[in-house]
Amino acid sequence: MTSTTAFFLRREDLIHLLEELSGTVEVVAPVLVWDEAAFATWRGEALALDDKNPLASPVEFFLPKKEVLFRYVQYSGRYTFSEDPPKARLIFGMRACDLRALKVIDGIFGADLSDLPYASKRRSTIIVALNCTSPGEGCFCRSMGSGPVAEEGYDLLLTDLGRGYLVEAGSPAGVYILRAHHRHFEEADPEDIKEKGRLLALAEEKMIKRGPFPNPEKIREAIDGADWEEAGRRCLACGGCSFVCPVCHCFSVLDQGVPDGERLRCRDSCILSGFSRMTSGANPRPDPGERLRHWYLDKFLYIPEKTGLFGCVGCGRCSRVCLGEADRWSFFKEATE
Amino acid sequence: MKIDRLKMGTDTFDGLGGGRILRAAPAKPESYIPYQAEVVDIDVESSNTYLLSLRPMDEEDDHVPINYSPGQFLMVSVFGLGECPISIASSPTRDPLQICVREAGRITQGIMAARIGDVLGIRGPFGNGFPLGSMRGENVLIAGGGSGFATLRSLINYIADDREKFKEVTVVYGARTPQDLYFTTEYGSWQAAEIEVGITVDMIDATWKGDVGLVTSLLADLDPAPGASALCGPPMMIRAVAKDLLGRGFLKQDIHISLERHMKCGVGKCEHCTMGRYHVCTDGPIFSYDVVEDLI
Repeated sequence: MTSTTAFFLRREDLIHLLEELSGTVEVVAPVLVWDEAAFATWRGEALALDDKNPLASPVEFFLPKKEVLFRYVQYSGRYTFSEDPPKARLIFGMRACDLRALKVIDGIFGADLSDLPYASKRRSTIIVALNCTSPGEGCFCRSMGSGPVAEEGYDLLLTDLGRGYLVEAGSPAGVYILRAHHRHFEEADPEDIKEKGRLLALAEEKMIKRGPFPNPEKIREAIDGADWEEAGRRCLACGGCSFVCPVCHCFSVLDQGVPDGERLRCRDSCILSGFSRMTSGANPRPDPGERLRHWYLDKFLYIPEKTGLFGCVGCGRCSRVCLGEADRWSFFKEATE
Repeated sequence: MKIDRLKMGTDTFDGLGGGRILRAAPAKPESYIPYQAEVVDIDVESSNTYLLSLRPMDEEDDHVPINYSPGQFLMVSVFGLGECPISIASSPTRDPLQICVREAGRITQGIMAARIGDVLGIRGPFGNGFPLGSMRGENVLIAGGGSGFATLRSLINYIADDREKFKEVTVVYGARTPQDLYFTTEYGSWQAAEIEVGITVDMIDATWKGDVGLVTSLLADLDPAPGASALCGPPMMIRAVAKDLLGRGFLKQDIHISLERHMKCGVGKCEHCTMGRYHVCTDGPIFSYDVVEDLI
């Protein structure tokens, strides 16, 4: 892409840019936490950009594992309520798969009766994406049409060219950052843009063998034909896959505190045994196999019907955590072959 | 926002409940912050079921009318215990707003512990409601079992208040024991509105002089003519009644079933109430039998 808003950022200037940005917003970036890359508030430490995409997706900054929906304070039998204002934040280093996951969640949380806690975080967050030039071992974003190249959903997009980064704006906020911090940027050389294309083509090449773009009809057949009882025996129903999936968004709501307190929203998972259980004890999906089947149906049929996008972005995180050897992607490939 | 929600189900929205919104809703529309609703009356329907009359209020304690349609539900909060879905038991043609609560878990226990003057939280109304548009001008059969009768009472009173728009109307209702029957004081008023009413129980006591047995046995006695129907009750009863109605010439798409699921949000986000591709909270809770035949 030839872009009038393509600039070059020297490797050593990235830190200076982030330092300046963190003066006005909270900067979140992948850093090493207990020797593993994780998205966390950046306080000047070294960036962990060469490591695998962190297990906890940056989507968690929009749908936290636990968040306060509102606080209630009781006075003389009546309540007053308050919501926390959203925090101005910049997420640095988000990959194409997680950008796509956000787009899918936009289609769910932004649709119909839109969700204020999500929408307000979405509006107050700047996204600086990073193109994936070295995709991870278990990634299959190319098969899901979500990567490794970030095509939309970012304010700024960086591509690592080795000696520095090619920087492109994808929104007015991105252009603003480029202008406001112009002293860190140099005009991009046409060669830099060619180099970007070469690196990304290489990344795509690496992923080509990891399966074709799935055909919804084939998927339906595979899901109908799979032995879910057997899959249910392999699944420990721990919910690990859902807790690392950037598209999974099931939540539970609970109150803490009497007479004053908070209403919290916490991540939940449709894989867990009690997820659909009603107070009466009736459980519409009592078997792990049935729940696993629903997980697949939702990601590959129901979410696409609703949002036009697959509910799986090919980040491979579910396979990284599965304890039950119900490795999702290989299982799925088995089923579609 | 209340108005927008009803627009979503324009098919089900009805003029009778309309025109009662006097001001815009005070809370931000997409927020999870509920309205406060003062408990203004409590009727004991059975040993473990109360009918609560509510007065939804704004921050100045002024009454805010909630615009709803029969078959819709509210998310009801007891602050400190949580929030759960409760169907609306009153008809939009009548004041006040009422919910029927049966003791089931900690939140319903909390709601039932509320006294007159106490405040609960409510969000909603949510869900599609019964398709009144397609029921009008038809014979209507209403079949309820157990606590599922609460949402049907909203429809029955709605029909009673607009009776000439419907043809023959029949209500059949079954409960476990005579003490478990809800709204016993209203059956007479329904009959007065030319609604045929059949009541049955599973287990009798010395005081009971009525029918004993399943709701389906009432259908055999009353022989309702085919038309639209509204069902709510335990899955076993739903399946039996639906089968019976199909045998009587009712069409699958005219059998409307109100379903119950575990819910946390009411707005199609939390995924607890999913049933196949449907969210019971936003696509339902009323589904026609042809849609959910294989899912219930």
